[in-house]
Amino acid sequence: MRRGGWRRRAESDGWEKWGGYMAAKVQKLEEQFRSDATIQKDGTSSTIFSGVAIYVNGYTDPSAEELRKLMMLHGGQYHVYYSRSKTTHIIATNLPNAKIKELKGEKVIRPEWIVESIKAGRLLSCIPYQLYSKPSNMQKGLNFNPACKAEESVPGPSSVAKQLNNRVNHIIKKVETENEVKVNGVNSWNEEDANNFSFTELEQIFPGRKQNGIPHHRDSAAIFNGHTPSSNGALKTQDCLVPLGHSVASRLSPDFTQEEEQAEKSRTDFRDCVVQQSPQSTRNTDAMRNPHRTNSFSLSSLHSNTKINGAHYSAVQGPSSTKSTSSVPTLSKAAPSVPSKPSDCNFISDFYSRSRLHHISMWKCELTEFVNTLQRQSSGIFPGREKLKKMKTGRSALVVTDTGNMSVLSSPRHQSCIMHVDMDCFFVSVGIRNRPDLKGKPVAVTSNRGTGRAPLRPGANPQLEWQYYQNKVLKGRAEIPDASLWENQDSAQANGIDSVLSKAEIASCSYEARQVGIRNGMFFGQAKQLCPSLQAVPYDFHAYKEVARTMYETLASYTHSIEAVSCDEALVDITEILAETRLTPDEFANAVRMEIKDQTKCAASVGIGSNILLARMATRKAKPDGQYHLKPEEVDDFIRGQLVSNLPGVGRSMESKLTALGIKTCGDLQYMTMAKLQKEFGPKTGQMLYRFCRGLDDRPVRTEKERKSISAEINYGIRFTQPKEAEAFLLNLSEEIQRRLEAAGVKGKRLTLKVMVRKPGAPVETAKFGGHGICDNVARTVTLDQATDSAKIIGKAALNMFHTMKLNISDMRGVGIQVNQLVPTNPNPSACPSRPSVPSGHFPGGSHSVLDLFQVQKAKKSTEEEHEEVFLAAMDLEISPASRNCTFLPPFSTHLTSSVNPVTSKAESSGKWNGLHSPISLKSRLNLSIEVPSPSQLDQSVLEALPPDLREQVEQACAVQQGELHGDKKKEPVNGCNTGILPQPVGTVLLQIPEPQESNSDTGINVIALPAFSQVDPEVFAALPAELQKELKAAYDQRQRQGENAAHQQPAAAAVPKNLFRQLKPASVKEKKRNKKKNPISPPKKIQSPLKNKLLNSPVKTLPGACGSPQKLIDGFLKHESPASEKPLGELSASTSGVPGLSGSQPEPAGCGRPPAPNLAGAVEFSDVKTLLKEWITTISDPMEEDILQVVKYCTDLIEEKDLEKLDLVIKYMKRLMQQSVESVWNMAFDFILDNVQVVLQQTYGSTLKVT
Amino acid sequence: MTTLTRQDLNFGQVVADVLCEFLEVAVHLILYVREVYPVGIFQKRKKYNVPVQMSCHPELNQYIQDTLHCVKPLLEKGGGGGVWVTRFWSRGFLFLQNDVEKVVVVILDKEHRPVEKFVFEITQPPLLSISSDSLLSHVEQLLRAFILKISVCDAVLDHNPPGCTFTVLVHTREAATRNMEKIQVIKDFPWILADEQDVHMHDPRLIPLKTMTSDILKMQLYVEERAHKSS
Repeated sequence: MRRGGWRRRAESDGWEKWGGYMAAKVQKLEEQFRSDATIQKDGTSSTIFSGVAIYVNGYTDPSAEELRKLMMLHGGQYHVYYSRSKTTHIIATNLPNAKIKELKGEKVIRPEWIVESIKAGRLLSCIPYQLYSKPSNMQKGLNFNPACKAEESVPGPSSVAKQLNNRVNHIIKKVETENEVKVNGVNSWNEEDANNFSFTELEQIFPGRKQNGIPHHRDSAAIFNGHTPSSNGALKTQDCLVPLGHSVASRLSPDFTQEEEQAEKSRTDFRDCVVQQSPQSTRNTDAMRNPHRTNSFSLSSLHSNTKINGAHYSAVQGPSSTKSTSSVPTLSKAAPSVPSKPSDCNFISDFYSRSRLHHISMWKCELTEFVNTLQRQSSGIFPGREKLKKMKTGRSALVVTDTGNMSVLSSPRHQSCIMHVDMDCFFVSVGIRNRPDLKGKPVAVTSNRGTGRAPLRPGANPQLEWQYYQNKVLKGRAEIPDASLWENQDSAQANGIDSVLSKAEIASCSYEARQVGIRNGMFFGQAKQLCPSLQAVPYDFHAYKEVARTMYETLASYTHSIEAVSCDEALVDITEILAETRLTPDEFANAVRMEIKDQTKCAASVGIGSNILLARMATRKAKPDGQYHLKPEEVDDFIRGQLVSNLPGVGRSMESKLTALGIKTCGDLQYMTMAKLQKEFGPKTGQMLYRFCRGLDDRPVRTEKERKSISAEINYGIRFTQPKEAEAFLLNLSEEIQRRLEAAGVKGKRLTLKVMVRKPGAPVETAKFGGHGICDNVARTVTLDQATDSAKIIGKAALNMFHTMKLNISDMRGVGIQVNQLVPTNPNPSACPSRPSVPSGHFPGGSHSVLDLFQVQKAKKSTEEEHEEVFLAAMDLEISPASRNCTFLPPFSTHLTSSVNPVTSKAESSGKWNGLHSPISLKSRLNLSIEVPSPSQLDQSVLEALPPDLREQVEQACAVQQGELHGDKKKEPVNGCNTGILPQPVGTVLLQIPEPQESNSDTGINVIALPAFSQVDPEVFAALPAELQKELKAAYDQRQRQGENAAHQQPAAAAVPKNLFRQLKPASVKEKKRNKKKNPISPPKKIQSPLKNKLLNSPVKTLPGACGSPQKLIDGFLKHESPASEKPLGELSASTSGVPGLSGSQPEPAGCGRPPAPNLAGAVEFSDVKTLLKEWITTISDPMEEDILQVVKYCTDLIEEKDLEKLDLVIKYMKRLMQQSVESVWNMAFDFILDNVQVVLQQTYGSTLKVT
Repeated sequence: MTTLTRQDLNFGQVVADVLCEFLEVAVHLILYVREVYPVGIFQKRKKYNVPVQMSCHPELNQYIQDTLHCVKPLLEKGGGGGVWVTRFWSRGFLFLQNDVEKVVVVILDKEHRPVEKFVFEITQPPLLSISSDSLLSHVEQLLRAFILKISVCDAVLDHNPPGCTFTVLVHTREAATRNMEKIQVIKDFPWILADEQDVHMHDPRLIPLKTMTSDILKMQLYVEERAHKSS
């Protein structure tokens, strides 16, 4: 409900009485107006303003009287008195602060709107003419600079400054009284927002600033970037997202209190942000006041109202051009629409807050994060899915009894099914969803909203540039055409029309526009020529984000297996949903589309296929606003008819290459051999093409993606005049990089500085204002000694590189810094405990606690048999969330889904643990794991030193453990083992709490976090001082001894290492595991693999005694224990393969500080490997898949180890044996192994093994 | 002999000396085995206690020596880099950037397309020390095995087309491009940028020859062979 000042005053002042008179007067005036209108009407009249009622407030040009006449002539109404209900538009050029407050939410339009509408002969959209823009309209700010409209009158700078100053003051006031304002809230005047609950929550923080429409880009920056005032990092979104995620989650589970807290928190954050900004704005206002405006004023928040992208139609030249800058004050028309100067510290943040591409890429990260958050908080209940189920049961009158337990496993008949959801011309449909007048018309989203023409700036030579790009596209090479050729035309043009086609890019255009040949990415001017009726819609980043989020929320109500492709595009694995709801893909797609349309008012297309590729291709067919299910039997025909350019990864250059080969469709492509393709396009791309054109694609729907590089590049508006500016800019960019690195929680080692330099001979002034024009790319790369995220180091390195380039500063057109070779940031030992809520993007399960782990265990205990418990407990304790060398060995036999979450939670808390105690800085926070020692071993003093919450957790954990101890004797060894020894999986760090007496006597370190032996980086080790080396060695020896003791004393401990072996197999590749279980390739196994026997029977033989590793002893015990412990697992996991087979091989510490030698089930020497292989191949008629994979892993290890000689021998030996074998399975097995090895070789060496 | 560790300055020199000595022998032998030069210019010598073939063409020898001289500082430093080549009778030394450090003897056909590449991939073992092998006798044994492998490698390789020449590439680790100019040890023997076409081989087949791991050195030798040599 609106409760503006007018109404309030009306009530208190007793309008009621007076109202009678006023009503009568208004009535009379209206009648008068109408009669006047009929008299006045003559040939020039029209009805374009029918339905429009204006009220003129204050001085306008044309005057109120003239406007009245105009309205009369053109069918509009003119109100002498303002009426909230009847008046549709308020016309004003300048409003005082108080009035703005009163009129909040009303449309206040500049009079030019009327004039121009009449000129255009139709009602123009009033949005571009708003005196101040609506809050959702973040792209535009205060419109005191009607840049390109020559006939407009513009208030002088002083009045603008005054006005702004008023508003700035107003903001500050607003910030103070924020709470009060919040009550009235955004909801009252921006109804759209009401839909998006979580978002309004955030927006309420800015009501004051929004109303006034002052630095809107700042708003957006703040919203997008969390509460960092300096804003702009693509990755700074996590802070902002967390509360959002929470509020969404709270919809699923009614936990509102928590959400309130979150919102409150974010509120405070934002408040800080606002306050910090205010002084800045004031400062800028001061700058504006200064009558001698200099370059310095053309900065920062105020005039950045003009979009950078839109700025090109201003008559003002680039900021570095002194001539034009000095002319600014004299040209009142030209208003301060100059983009920030790159040398300014705000330039970078300004740039990013208004870059479309930046927003798009940022949203993707955000949405990925959003999906991850949902996954972490998943309660396993999907409202959408439930709804569907109900719908289905209702319709088919089927009673589904056990839907809750139903999973993919229980219905293996379901093929994997991927759904690709893509919004139709996203920007456009969002842009026009509230403007029905534009529906069905050619519409383009672009920054240019005028006629598609822009004034030609002297020196710019668009034809030349156009020609250059044409050449580049057509011939694959480009030379700058002779400029003199163009001179004549240039001057001709300058004389004739002094404007050129707008170079604003079309971000998106409607299907109607596409029909006439307009494409995304086209320049607006060009498009306007193609289709004069083309309508331009401005960007509305806020709405895009909102719609994108709604779409993702909709999808997330069905499943969390979502891969965020971009803000308007997502891949969803719906296999499970279909199995559970028993809907057909088409039914489901329909439901999803309907819901998206309901929620967002935008159309989405859906494609469904058995893999990502096919789903994407199907979407193409589904568009616009449709759906298409590509059935497996149709795939072959379908794919053959597809154009190669439709394949993902096939861009323009590759397309032209393919066309040159005479390939147009995928069918053509299928005739090419893999070798030929790889020769033409390189190994990887070739393989990709080969597979894609057959409709093969095995990429899983990845919900979490690892970033490979982080970069910040700016190639707009870069015009430096002095080296100092460029240097300062680089330093600023480094800081930006630092922010991004920090937000991503990574450090990078390799730095690349990319600079775009004007190509010699290219015109100095670019065709697109502030654009980069024709450029050469120069890049330099350095590798730093250490991975870093420090702006100082990055900046220094960047400056060094910059200096070696020896560039002409004024020719620089773009600068970018990229950081590669990312490693996760070390958990900072001192900082960790104090900030437990580190951005959790890289923790697979950040929000869980140790406590959860044990609760899960407890829960299990109640249901499972005792011996199974031992097993589970052991597993839970030992699985590392993600071990690094998982790549080649997907898990088959273990089924640990249930325990993954609690375990990953350990990762986080162990970060804290190590933070407290570890003297060794940890390499990777990804792979931390914690061992809770048995209570007897807990050092009480350490426990007391822990923060209370942590202590509680540990205590509780121990209590649970103790319970177990008492309950079952069998468990004791497990605990003993955990604390004592234990070969750790790759990447795991053991937080070891040794027996007090030992630690006191030996090392003097109470708590040592020692990585596994195999984890010790020999280089690091070597670099350590001698004393430290000794100490570490001693510690390891001690651990070994402990291990041996433990192993000797407690034979049952074997259960633990057994589980450990399972860790080898990546817990993270759950997706694959599921697939495998669906289509078990290897038949249920009854025979024990001889490889395994080998391992079990001859531990001593394969492992020379000198090694002295605890592991081999354990291996020995395996023999006794494994048959017993296997069985329960087999039952537990419901997996087809109960025997882990070769999976038991663990990297073996071969000697002090050496990395493990590649081994096959422990066999390192070639002769051992040979015997092993021979036994395997000759005795088994049906090899197990995991054994084969084990061999593959061994081979790839050899490659990594650069032991090609041995690899060659192994391969040759296998080839001989396997191809001799009568079983064709062995032949296939060999081919499989060889293929895999060749692929890895190809990647590592660029060539494949010659097998003769 | 005292124990040498990685920190010791002359440790790198020792390794570089050993390597260069070996590489010289290996290059000669490869040229002989792969019949790049007429058999007549080679003489039988004894090295690592096995017979090897060494060229007695003074200019060729000088060239090989010079190039190895230029490589040596790189081996000492275990890095440095650049993209350079020297030319001698249209053969030369090329330096490429790569993560892996390799010395590659490339045999080119008449059209200067690579036919075969003998790749010596050199890495440092994780823990450097020669305390256990102070006379390097173990290393010598391993190098001998390399030499023997090279002398019989023609058994696993296809015949080269007539009229081949050779060139040597060094793939260095990263960076330090500028240093290359300083490292120009021999006058008039500058580094020259390598072309991709000189390096890239169509459809290569990999034939591993030998791998060694010693305390001071880890090296493997493999041959990359063009699938269809005559084409």
